[in-house]
Amino acid sequence: MNTPDFKGTHLWDRLCWAKERLDPVQSDYRVVYEDSVDECAKILVADPNWMACALQGGILPPVWVYHELAKDEASEGFKRHTRGYLLHETEPVEAMTEEEAIEYLILKDCPRHVWENYNEGNRPKMIICTKKQLPQTREWRNAWKISEELNIAA
Amino acid sequence: MAGKIIADTIETGAGADISTSFVVNGSLKAWVNLDGTGTIAVLDSLNIASVTDDGSGAYINAFTNSFNNVNYGWNMSTMNNASSNKAFIAGLRVSTTPTASQLQTSIHQNETGSADRDFVCTSAFGDLA
Repeated sequence: MNTPDFKGTHLWDRLCWAKERLDPVQSDYRVVYEDSVDECAKILVADPNWMACALQGGILPPVWVYHELAKDEASEGFKRHTRGYLLHETEPVEAMTEEEAIEYLILKDCPRHVWENYNEGNRPKMIICTKKQLPQTREWRNAWKISEELNIAA
Repeated sequence: MAGKIIADTIETGAGADISTSFVVNGSLKAWVNLDGTGTIAVLDSLNIASVTDDGSGAYINAFTNSFNNVNYGWNMSTMNNASSNKAFIAGLRVSTTPTASQLQTSIHQNETGSADRDFVCTSAFGDLA
């Protein structure tokens, strides 16, 4: 199925178009990251409808748009977004592979201080794994940490 | 898009008028139903990019189309436990505030603290960016 030319179409309308036409894609990938040494490891999972949009292409805005909006929201005195048009009027990104989509999602939804230097320091702060590599029960969930014994290639 | 209808009001068969702005402003802008047990998984959703498992009964819902501001409305619900007859309380996570792009939620069971549930439903209303 071809994606219509969505540049200039409200992102919400694009998501509704995708919801009606694209089959959800359950990704097997999980992103495990530690935001703070005092907290347990977090596990990010891609939304299946979002993943369908990423694989289809021509729907989602480039990730830098989200970074611009985050900058606006972090500015002093923020009341509301005035550059929301970036979501709708920027040329949508082309179709991604599942791996590229996960990378996009890390840049979008994980804290910057995690992905900017995830593999520096004494232990890794973030890893991408598959669902079956995670504990299969949630016992002691609030104590989960990334193993220090992991050997991660940069 | 293939076509466009421009209308200021919608009229019902009974002759009642309603402004289309009521429909646009009152519609749900994001929702998600997830399985919070085991390795969490999104069952279905709209306008959600990812969900993060942030510990027992705690989730971060990230929107694809951010809200216009941080004062949007939200609600959350989950399945009760008939066998234990204990209530679950679902809502905004303690010590967090919504951002335009993310909403942190959590589930607590009375007496025992945070809890994972099979069906965790979150929705949000408001103006989009």
